[in-house]
Amino acid sequence: MRRLLHVVLLGLLGAGIVHIVVLMLVPEFSERDAWSRLAMASDLYKMTRLDAEAGGAPVVKSVDPLFYAAACRFDLTDGLVRIKAAGRVPFWSVSVYDRNGHNIYSFNDRNANSGTLDAVVLTPAQMIEVRKDLPEDLQGAIFVEAPIDEGIFVIRAFVPDESWKPIVSRFLSQSSCELPDY
Amino acid sequence: MLKNALLTLIALAIAIGGGGASVWYTLRAQDGVGAIRIGQWTAFPDIGTPAADPYSKARVAREGVLALGRAEGLSFVAERDSSGDTLKRECAYRIEGGLPTARFWTLYAADESLGVIDTGKQRPAALQSYEVMRQPDNSVAITVSGHPAPGNWLLSTGAGTMYLVLTFYDTPIASSTGLSDIEMPRIQKAGCDA
Repeated sequence: MRRLLHVVLLGLLGAGIVHIVVLMLVPEFSERDAWSRLAMASDLYKMTRLDAEAGGAPVVKSVDPLFYAAACRFDLTDGLVRIKAAGRVPFWSVSVYDRNGHNIYSFNDRNANSGTLDAVVLTPAQMIEVRKDLPEDLQGAIFVEAPIDEGIFVIRAFVPDESWKPIVSRFLSQSSCELPDY
Repeated sequence: MLKNALLTLIALAIAIGGGGASVWYTLRAQDGVGAIRIGQWTAFPDIGTPAADPYSKARVAREGVLALGRAEGLSFVAERDSSGDTLKRECAYRIEGGLPTARFWTLYAADESLGVIDTGKQRPAALQSYEVMRQPDNSVAITVSGHPAPGNWLLSTGAGTMYLVLTFYDTPIASSTGLSDIEMPRIQKAGCDA
């Protein structure tokens, strides 16, 4: 009987260790995280709609039904990435995520020059290079300094009602995510 | 000898089974570590940030969530009414009270996966603050029901568990530490379809 009690206690201690180990390994080995899901849907530097409206199941979960969203994956080892979207919508917001889906920077239309979306994501080292000689057309852009390699850029735009759907759709479909050569 | 092997097997089974199941259970529970509860509403202000606890990080990786950033907004989920019963899609509820400061907010009825309920109609199971009518004291009163209701009406259809998701956009509460002082509306059951 005492042996059995001993074994159960040992088992519970082991369960505690397994609990911690599994918890730490989930983010490492998950094939269902946002990056993997986006990778299945499209290539790097390609804006992809996240909501179900564009056809098919939503790529990434937990998108507000009154919002449209688009995302692109980038790799800063290729160089800085520039995201632009023209047009006016009632509200847009932007988040930069790292490879694990952690939000590292976010801003919204009130932070931007004249309300249009023009942003550059770069590493601190690239920032120093760009600062030396700032290209003319980057003057109005928002610089997001991120100490990461791979990342995800997400644009969310508010759709107050039915009549805004085509306008917000166009805002997202015209958005670009590219590697400029400077 | 055989007895020893059996005992080792039991210990291993408890360790692996118990450890795995406890992780699975905590990741499924709606109010986990790092949750902030205000009335019936639960929010995870730290989820999806590098400062999040390991449970939130595992949840983000497992569910493929891209959480709202601090400058975007903050999402609250309710799974129970004010008397403590779980929300049901076949029941009618009354949401009443003041709301924290935000540029605007959205409210939608969700199923277990926290996706919006598919109503099968033109009207979505979602409302936003620009289209709701307010009381003289700037509070709101919303009826959640499968049947049309006067005033602000949030359509919910079907049967089963329901969640209510209330998201505030461009709001100071997402970045301030005074999250506990804010006021959230109450959810009261108004009746059920038999």
